[in-house]
Amino acid sequence: MPNASDTRHPTSTAGSPAVTATEPTGTGATGSGTNRTWRRVARVVALVVCAALVLAFPELAPNAYILSAGIVVASYACTATAWNFMGGFTGYVSLGHAAFFGLGAYGTAILIRDLGLPSFVAWLLAGLLVLLITIPLGIAALRVRGASFVIVSISFVLILLLVFQGWGSFTGGSDGLVVPRPFPDLLRPEHHRVFFYLFAALLAAMLLAWWAIDRSRFGTGLKAVREDEDKAQALGVPTRNYKLVAYVVSATFTALAGGMYALWFGDLDPIFQFSIMLGSYMVLMALFGGVRHLYGPLLGAVVVGVGLEYFKLEFGDTQLHLVATALLLGLVVLFMPDGLIPAAQALVKRFGPQDSSIREVTAAELLERNRAASGTAGTTDGDRDEPADAAGTGRSEGDASTGGDR
Amino acid sequence: MTGTLLFQSLVLGVLLGGLYALLAAGLTLYFGVMRVVMIAHSAFLILAAYLAWFFNQQTGMDPLLSLVVTVPLFFLVGVGMQRLLITRLRPATLTMMSVLLTFAVALFIEGMIGFVWSGTQRRIQLPYSSASVEFFGAHIAVVKLVAFALAALSLALLYLIMKHSRFGQALRATIQHSEAAQLVGIKTDRVAGFGFGLGLATAAIGGTALSLDATIYPSLHWHWIGPLMAIIVVGGLGSIPGAAIAAMVLGIGQSLLQVPLGTTWAQTIFYVALFVTLMLRPQGFFGGRLAQRF
Repeated sequence: MPNASDTRHPTSTAGSPAVTATEPTGTGATGSGTNRTWRRVARVVALVVCAALVLAFPELAPNAYILSAGIVVASYACTATAWNFMGGFTGYVSLGHAAFFGLGAYGTAILIRDLGLPSFVAWLLAGLLVLLITIPLGIAALRVRGASFVIVSISFVLILLLVFQGWGSFTGGSDGLVVPRPFPDLLRPEHHRVFFYLFAALLAAMLLAWWAIDRSRFGTGLKAVREDEDKAQALGVPTRNYKLVAYVVSATFTALAGGMYALWFGDLDPIFQFSIMLGSYMVLMALFGGVRHLYGPLLGAVVVGVGLEYFKLEFGDTQLHLVATALLLGLVVLFMPDGLIPAAQALVKRFGPQDSSIREVTAAELLERNRAASGTAGTTDGDRDEPADAAGTGRSEGDASTGGDR
Repeated sequence: MTGTLLFQSLVLGVLLGGLYALLAAGLTLYFGVMRVVMIAHSAFLILAAYLAWFFNQQTGMDPLLSLVVTVPLFFLVGVGMQRLLITRLRPATLTMMSVLLTFAVALFIEGMIGFVWSGTQRRIQLPYSSASVEFFGAHIAVVKLVAFALAALSLALLYLIMKHSRFGQALRATIQHSEAAQLVGIKTDRVAGFGFGLGLATAAIGGTALSLDATIYPSLHWHWIGPLMAIIVVGGLGSIPGAAIAAMVLGIGQSLLQVPLGTTWAQTIFYVALFVTLMLRPQGFFGGRLAQRF
């Protein structure tokens, strides 16, 4: 684009009033501005209330069991959100993220055991190690797409399960590995409480990172990969590097969640750390809530995680929780592939007052509006070369809406 | 000693490779007709093994006779699964979502097996269970030979169906280019359903063969799905001969490595092969056009 600098000044002066003018016409009234601020206020209030509920949970929990179940759910929320860095942004479904969870857990434990590092230094170092390991793994795995990628991701878990069971002298094998407790002088309930807050902090860090990526140019590139990888590549998105970075971020956060789990639970077994079930829970939770939404995996983790804990409590060791998980996953995939949040939004839209399927405008009005819209589109066309971010986000919104229509 | 041991494991590898080849052919069929990676394939395998065990337990007859029931049953289940479940998914996300859907089916089967027959390990006791034949100094268990014969026979039958029947032609046309197949008058929906059923029928045969000489338990299918998936990627997704060759090579490799490394580490050969394939030829060693983008 040689004339980018030439067009910038004239179009920005001509374009920006046009853009601000189109905003109200979109919804038809100036009330939309206040509507939007209300929505923002409501969102902030909801966020504060949710955060307060999370922070107050250890005080509200009636007994230590509920508190420990809460920690399990929080760890699910961490893993599902970590999974969503890859699955949500790029659309690459990894069924094998349990591999990174297990690596983080075992890495933390072994660093404490063999090097005598302080617990949380070992935790961070294990996360760093997984980050380094994931780079070559990601390069190998991301050479393929779609189905092959899923196969490769499952094979990560299966191979690590074999290695950690087979290499008993180093990993403790099937006898398990005891992780030294980070706070030896805390009582059980106190210990739970501290770890609930640690998990919540980790989750908050992840949500913040997801939010930041979601709004960035990098995130837009990842979403372009999700919608159509070939087109994204043709448009100059460095797809391989972007996918690799997303993969590494996702794996590292999963490993941090795993390390935290190891410090809390204190006992590791390859069967449970490198379990396909754990990886499938991450996918199920993220899909259930909605992979395109910041809080989707968290919501899914709360619903599915509470359900799983309840099932384990009610039915104990029977295989019924597998059946329940399977049925839920099947139903989500068949009937709600976009998740709970979009489904609920669609429901609200369907029964809400604003949108009716019958157009409440005459053909003449519609023609007028279309003409106006095409007119503004003409002026904003030159606007594309303006701040790259604005163009990028605008386009991604368009993509998202067409994706929803499909 | 090492010579006979080597030969013994070579023969065992061929026998194992035959079973792998049959099962991988089934997986390839699903992938070919629907672009679906069927994670539940090995779960159906274990289900068939359990049905064979249950049949033997109840009637005392040879578990091979259970094939009369399980093969048509699995064929129908396969057709039903394709028509009722897979086709409901959106075409745009079919590959990813079908993986999750079949994963759910696998979990469901594992859970139901565990619920109905409990998690106890099961094994069929047959009069010829401990019999073995001497073959150039190698001792081969009769049950392994029977399993291999069954697998080889079904693979040959599958080959004949694919190459020399009208249905096979239609199936291959659907795999190659379903729109073009539709244009020449093939009912691709129906053919795809039958292809799915055919794939599941291989799981029934493989499971019965497996039940002859293996101890079975509900979560066993995870030990099968990894190797099978590795095989179809190494062979090139969608290529039946590729899958068969890769199955043979890797089966023999696993069997040979079992002697110095033990069973756990020998299984890693599949994953090593998988990663070597990804680094050198992501489309698989025998894959054609189909494998390019998957």
